[in-house]
Amino acid sequence: MREYFVSLIVGLVVLCVMSWLIVTFVAYPEVKNLPLHTYATVSRIIITLLISVAWGLSFGILAATNKLASLIVTPFIDLLQSIPILGYFPVVIGFLFALGPLGIEFSVIILLFTSMAWAIFFGVLGAVSGIPANVAEASRAFGLSGWRYIRHVVLPAITPAVVSGANLAWCDGWFFMIAAEYIQYEGRVVPPPSGGLGYLLARAAYYYKDMNLSVILLLFITFIVVYFNVLTWHRLMDRVSTGTFKPVFKIDLSGVGKLGVTRMNGWLHFRRHWPKSFFATSQRLRKYSRIEKIIAVVLALFMIFLVLRSEGHHIPTLDTIMRGFSEPPSEELGRLPVLVSLTMMRLLAAYGISLVVAIALGILAVEHKRLAVVIYPFYDIGQGVPILALFPVLFLGLNQLLGAPRIALEFTCVIMLVLDMIWYMFINILSAVKNIPADLREVGQLLGLKGYNRLRHLVIPYILPAIVTGSILSWGTGWNTIIFAEYMPSTEPGVPSLSVPGIGSLLDKAGYEYGNTIILIFLLGVIAAIVLFMEGAIWRRLLRKFEKYRVEV
Amino acid sequence: MSVIEAENVTKTFELEKSRILVLDNVNFSVGSDEFVCLVGPSGCGKSTMLRIIAGLEQADSGTVRFHGEQIIKPNPKIAMVFQLFGLLPWKTALENIELPLEVIGASKEERTRTAQEYLEMVELKEFDNTYPHDLSGGMKQRVGIARALALKPEVLLMDEPFSSLDELTAKTLRELVLDIWRDPDLPTNTFIMVSHNVEEAVFMADRVIVMTPRPGRVIGEVEIDIPRPRLSHIRESRYFELVDKIVELLEIGKKQNQH
Repeated sequence: MREYFVSLIVGLVVLCVMSWLIVTFVAYPEVKNLPLHTYATVSRIIITLLISVAWGLSFGILAATNKLASLIVTPFIDLLQSIPILGYFPVVIGFLFALGPLGIEFSVIILLFTSMAWAIFFGVLGAVSGIPANVAEASRAFGLSGWRYIRHVVLPAITPAVVSGANLAWCDGWFFMIAAEYIQYEGRVVPPPSGGLGYLLARAAYYYKDMNLSVILLLFITFIVVYFNVLTWHRLMDRVSTGTFKPVFKIDLSGVGKLGVTRMNGWLHFRRHWPKSFFATSQRLRKYSRIEKIIAVVLALFMIFLVLRSEGHHIPTLDTIMRGFSEPPSEELGRLPVLVSLTMMRLLAAYGISLVVAIALGILAVEHKRLAVVIYPFYDIGQGVPILALFPVLFLGLNQLLGAPRIALEFTCVIMLVLDMIWYMFINILSAVKNIPADLREVGQLLGLKGYNRLRHLVIPYILPAIVTGSILSWGTGWNTIIFAEYMPSTEPGVPSLSVPGIGSLLDKAGYEYGNTIILIFLLGVIAAIVLFMEGAIWRRLLRKFEKYRVEV
Repeated sequence: MSVIEAENVTKTFELEKSRILVLDNVNFSVGSDEFVCLVGPSGCGKSTMLRIIAGLEQADSGTVRFHGEQIIKPNPKIAMVFQLFGLLPWKTALENIELPLEVIGASKEERTRTAQEYLEMVELKEFDNTYPHDLSGGMKQRVGIARALALKPEVLLMDEPFSSLDELTAKTLRELVLDIWRDPDLPTNTFIMVSHNVEEAVFMADRVIVMTPRPGRVIGEVEIDIPRPRLSHIRESRYFELVDKIVELLEIGKKQNQH
């Protein structure tokens, strides 16, 4: 406890000194309010975290315990998650900005929410479905049902998943903060009324192009994130005894993604089973508890309201669609295959690098205790750096180094992707290597498996499923980041924005420069199709293949 | 001349800053061609003892010798069979048996031939291309035994090899293991088995070493003088006398450690 207070106070003092130094020695007017900006960002992320936890808990439990809800909610969330967040954002803010300053604040929180909520939802979903059947049966035998079942069985069982999911969400929140607080709308930057660190950093990098200030702010932000990690998350994780490296995402993927191409096939035959499933549904409806019914009704009403409110008065007609496709940047659509393959190549390069590095680091960290001492702190700090915030700083640095903005952006893009993708790979691989059962390790020792042989026969085959899971997640997040990373927004009116050719930058142009919603939605559809296709054609197949490799305990 | 000799073996584990004594001054020896069973309540350190013999763990003090030489690391002459089989799920039955041969550098041809030989010996000839996932528990343990024998070890260690199998399967496998032990063509003739099943120990062993609850100490040794094959003798009073004797020793050990 004493140690805790010491680190609490020392951290606070360091923070105060840092902000005092920055405020005193930096001349830009915005920076003078650094403490306020810090406060705004921290409280924004905390508020969003609370909302995300509440949402993730209720929807996760609902989707995991209720067949009908999972039929509706899970595919819907799966789809939302597959669509790059930054992509559908322009559509949302157009609607919210009409509400004034509060609307801007609200849209920042919505953007943060869309980046933070998934980790918690899928963590909860996985943990609830992971409750052993015998525990569930035993509690039912003792008459636990409805709320009491949730209170005594579900909540305790999922606490570790919620905590580590919340931690991931927290990190994701910092990751997207800079994008969320530096919104471009109709060609101009709209700062959140109460400011924010992300806004400040973007301003320093994009507007003032001040490398030193950017790095200082980045360090400041990193310190805050690491400070919170050490102070709250590590302790929380210890308390719920998850171990810092419990894979939140080690969910049974076959239970979650319901939109895979392979399942699509099943949907096509849906009609034939209609009467039967309808009957089953009405039967299940009777078994619902009152709370479940209320939640379902409120949810349905809310969703209908949202759809009506936002889309009701301008449902796109064939005419508007045709018009959208004839307006700029429609002339670029002809090059779409080339753009897609360029983006694909960037993602592939980044994926290859993160795969190799993550495997090497993951294995080294577990197998060599001495190296672990070096790797873990790096991991901690690396996890703390808001990677998206690195983007402007990295670009600025590379541009000064290379002198060629386009090449600098190309490099920045791939580095960003690597930093983004590697994390999921690393955490999955690390936990898999850690989980190699003792008897398999002993067999390896007894047979004298060492070095390369040990990797080939024991370690690599064991972690293959984790590599696939990590791959799915890192490709997902990679597609998300590419939209941000291929495009450098213009800083002053009149100066054209900088971009590297790819589907991500085309999407940005359609959204930010031309405001062409039709093409924006079309491109989102293309990306979603690619993501789903890869999932069905590659990852799911691999997962199924490795299924029999799973060690039964 | 004893093959395995344990002398004053003591071992502690550290668990969240508290030290737990698991083996306290354990002494015994196992001779050539002997089948010895270590029997004790769960958690008494008998599995730890087996792992020290295998070279997987080190004693804190005391020594374990194999033909007079201290065991400090795994030795291909000492093989082990695991309670949960320890098969690599990503390798077929045949590949699992081939693995130890590959490590010592046998050619592909030789490994396959030897592995097939052993697979045939455990009566799984047709299952060479099957993954452990699709094998029953008994079949998995047969593969585990075949793998342990592949390097022609002298000593076979078995860590509760039948306790995760149903009784009928266990019965068949016990016979198989005894057949292997008796087979004059196989160099593997010194067996040490850990068990908590007293009947099983009396049925299989020449000698049963009885251990106390944690910290594990040897409280007595019982010579099993029932003639083999024993299947025809397990209804006789001598069998039950010996079982009772071991159970009595276990009870004494339990009381001792309570005080």
